[in-house]
Amino acid sequence: MSDISVSGAKILFELPFGLTISETQVNMWIVMAVIAAICIWLTHGMKVKPDSKRQIVAEFLVKTVTNFVESNMGKRFSGFTPYVAALFSLALCSSLLSLLGMYPPTSDLNTTLGWALVTFVLITYYKIRTSGIGKYLKGFTEPVFLMTPMNIIGEMATPVSMAFRMFGNVASGSIISTLVYAGLAWLNQAVFGWLPGVLGDMAAELPILQLGIPAILSIYFDVFSGVLQAFIFCMLTMLYIASAAEVET
Amino acid sequence: MLLAGTLEFISLNVWHIVMAIGNLLILMLILKKFLFKPVQKILKQREEEVAKIYSDADDALAKANEDKNTYEQKMMSAKQEADNLIKTATERAKQESSEIVAAARSEAERRLKNADEDIELAKRKAADEMKNSISEMVIGIAEQVVEKEIDADAHSALIDEAIDSLGDMYEK
Repeated sequence: MSDISVSGAKILFELPFGLTISETQVNMWIVMAVIAAICIWLTHGMKVKPDSKRQIVAEFLVKTVTNFVESNMGKRFSGFTPYVAALFSLALCSSLLSLLGMYPPTSDLNTTLGWALVTFVLITYYKIRTSGIGKYLKGFTEPVFLMTPMNIIGEMATPVSMAFRMFGNVASGSIISTLVYAGLAWLNQAVFGWLPGVLGDMAAELPILQLGIPAILSIYFDVFSGVLQAFIFCMLTMLYIASAAEVET
Repeated sequence: MLLAGTLEFISLNVWHIVMAIGNLLILMLILKKFLFKPVQKILKQREEEVAKIYSDADDALAKANEDKNTYEQKMMSAKQEADNLIKTATERAKQESSEIVAAARSEAERRLKNADEDIELAKRKAADEMKNSISEMVIGIAEQVVEKEIDADAHSALIDEAIDSLGDMYEK
């Protein structure tokens, strides 16, 4: 049991000026490359009269995401469609990487915090653009001046909560998977170690109990939670930005 | 270089945050260029094609209607022409028939008139003959009566007068 350790991403490369490239970045690049390849494959040789399933899938994806964004943010934000699509696909595929036993980039707080900061910047930009910088800053002192620190914390809570929600869900999934796996290994040894002689040694080494249960758990923690968290992150981004752009009365 | 270490479970690194944002924006550009632009282009083309098909269909319909109108007009004028032809032919036939009838009638009348005249002439001739024979008979009777030849030439005027008055009396 002593070999259980929870750690972050492995550092793969060290660049000058103390910059590092970890598993997070490399896995994200892999996901991006795969998504780009799928996009190119889906859209190559498209015709006005579709004669391939690929094209139908590509059109379905574009229409679905466009409708999704327009129904949540309104038609004037349809320019956000590629951003939301990128956010969703990157978050989803990153989380699903854990199915392949790879390090999911979304279990790195830096990743989710970076994405949440983009949302925060967009929220602030639309708030200022809608009501003006003066009114935006004045909004922090309302209803009374004493509330200013609270308001600032509340404003900051949006990206922080978004970042930690996604990070927490994905990372906790990995931790629970690790714990369950270790626990099952110990149980395996405990159950089959009693067998006499060489047989017992062999059975204890074989991961018999580890075969099924982690897979079921990973369906919840990797697939369900990954889809749900990616969806929630996109939803919150869209709703926060759309409501920030609404003219306050 | 490889596997230079492991990050803490929760570690903040500005460089990694920047990388995450950059990766997200790059993926956005990739999706835009390789998925959204081509699909939207195709969708737009399809829309244009559909609009073109619709306008072509409208044009074809308009042309068909136009053709139909021209055809109907032509049919109408042809019908009118035929009607006119029939009308003029009928009129001419009527006129001709009435002319023929009139000619026939006048011919008949002429013939009737001729016949009447002939009858009258024959009647008169017969009357004259009768008159002559009567006068001769009368003269013969009178000669026998008086046993004397009457000078026919001398008395014929007298006798004619007598017969005429006889005739007149008879006619009355």
